[in-house]
Amino acid sequence: MTAASPAVLVVDDEVDFGEVLTLRLREAGENALYARSGRDCLDLLQRQEVEVVILDVRMPDMDGIDTLQAIKQAHPWVEVILLTGHGTIETAVRGVKLGAYDLLIKPADFQELREKLNQARRRRQERIDRPGDTGAIPDPS
Amino acid sequence: MEQPTRPLTVLLVDDEPRFREILAKRLRHRGVSVEEAPGGEEALESMRREAKEVVVLDVKMPGLDGIETLRRLKTAHPECEVILLTGHASPQDGVEGIKAGAFDYLSKPVEFEHLLRKITQARNKIERLRAERREAEFREQIRRQMAVAERLAALGTLASGVAHEINNPLAVIQDSAGWLQQILEKPETADMPRREDFAQALARIQRAVGRARTITRQLLQAVHNPAGDSLETVHLREVSLPAIAEEALALVRREAADRGLALALEASDPPPLAWTDPALLLQVILNLLNNALQATDSGGRVTLRLGVKGEHAVLAVEDTGRGIPPEHLNRIFEPFFTTKEVGRGTGMGLYVSWAIMNRLQGGITVESREGRGATFTLTLPRKPPPTA
Ligand SMILES: Nc1ncnc2c1ncn2[C@@H]1O[C@H](COP(=O)(O)OP(=O)(O)OP(=O)(O)O)[C@@H](O)[C@H]1O
Ligand SMILES: [Mg+2]
Repeated sequence: MTAASPAVLVVDDEVDFGEVLTLRLREAGENALYARSGRDCLDLLQRQEVEVVILDVRMPDMDGIDTLQAIKQAHPWVEVILLTGHGTIETAVRGVKLGAYDLLIKPADFQELREKLNQARRRRQERIDRPGDTGAIPDPS
Repeated sequence: MEQPTRPLTVLLVDDEPRFREILAKRLRHRGVSVEEAPGGEEALESMRREAKEVVVLDVKMPGLDGIETLRRLKTAHPECEVILLTGHASPQDGVEGIKAGAFDYLSKPVEFEHLLRKITQARNKIERLRAERREAEFREQIRRQMAVAERLAALGTLASGVAHEINNPLAVIQDSAGWLQQILEKPETADMPRREDFAQALARIQRAVGRARTITRQLLQAVHNPAGDSLETVHLREVSLPAIAEEALALVRREAADRGLALALEASDPPPLAWTDPALLLQVILNLLNNALQATDSGGRVTLRLGVKGEHAVLAVEDTGRGIPPEHLNRIFEPFFTTKEVGRGTGMGLYVSWAIMNRLQGGITVESREGRGATFTLTLPRKPPPTA
């Protein structure tokens, strides 16, 4: 995998976690990037091609759900996997309705995370290949 | 339930044999089961052998007099009611008798129908007191159950809060160890000094994290969040209890055989159905079966009993194991309460089971005698709740 391959972006306010997960993904051959906040994530998305964002739900200031909405608005082709230490069905349902691909609970199994990552990439590709799909999320109602 | 047709039992105490015999005969004639005693000592002896409900007691007797006999009777048998027979000249004895706990007193000579009425009234009073006591016990039991439920809910909230907070650092530990493991798998580290030591220690860290993760998962799964939902949703449908019981037994058959235990399934006919979530129910049954197997020594028996009680389906797991000491009975449902060695049990099984049964609109209760085994009983709705 070259550094130019499309990136996976880890977003987590806990630096120890975000960094080590980024290191693991790189070690496994992914082009992984790290952002410390929802804002940093959105800045990075302006400059860099990212396929999948792995997004913490509970963050100060701009939380995961806000960030998810902003990502889907500005970059509809980016897939998002929510990663949280606080698993409630509401967050999961809400996240998926807002266009997240899936939700995993910390500490997540690394193999499972990678599988989800690949599935999310496949879904992205399918959406891109489908003619007429704008990437927009259908109104959740 | 009381049997209203059960014969009324009376002990007739009088030192005059003629009087006693005639009265006894007339009472028997009216369907009363009567025993006779010629004096106070004999009366106490007769009650010791078998308690009668109503005692008709002459006050003036040689030896132990009526009032003293009354006192001793009421001490030894607080449930019985005593009717005193006093000579017409001594109503004072009667008053003293009432103070000592007699139901009533009649003066001799007694009018038979009047006596019979008094006996019946005394018996009604006994029944009423019994009913009141049963009701009080029932209330107390409910109160205790609610207190336990409240405590469990509070403990659960606390424990799940801790679980949430633990998950984040746990993730850092797990992924840091995982990262180092990935590095150790690279060709560049193949010749690293003491590589095996690193690998071993990292594997230990991963195992320990796995254990901690199981606990936090169970807690989060068990606890309702304030919105009344938890990570796993409940999928209710009509479930055949024998089918799910068979499934559970199949999963523990091997372990039972290894431990030298017999497994049995007893189901009422027709096979009971429940309105429930089969996956969650299976989890509860497995928790109970595993506990039962672990508590029972070789040669013992674990029985799964299925039946129906009113609006509920009932599923009981009964074992012949060591039982639960009374002082543990109201603690075993708490999260982390365990008597097993570290690493053997986390004390989550019954707590999770209790929480699941709550979510299934059912209940879980336990009965046990130390050394004689334990029975855990699940109750479940049989039908979907009527839609409003
Ligand atoms: N059938 C039983 N007979 C005797 N004691 C029991 C039985 N079931 C449960 N207990 C007691 O209740 C305690 C709590 O049970 P629980 O299932 O919650 O936890 P555990 O079995 O100790 O651990 P875990 O289920 O998490 O592996 C047990 O440690 C044991 O002392
Ligand atoms: Mg257990």
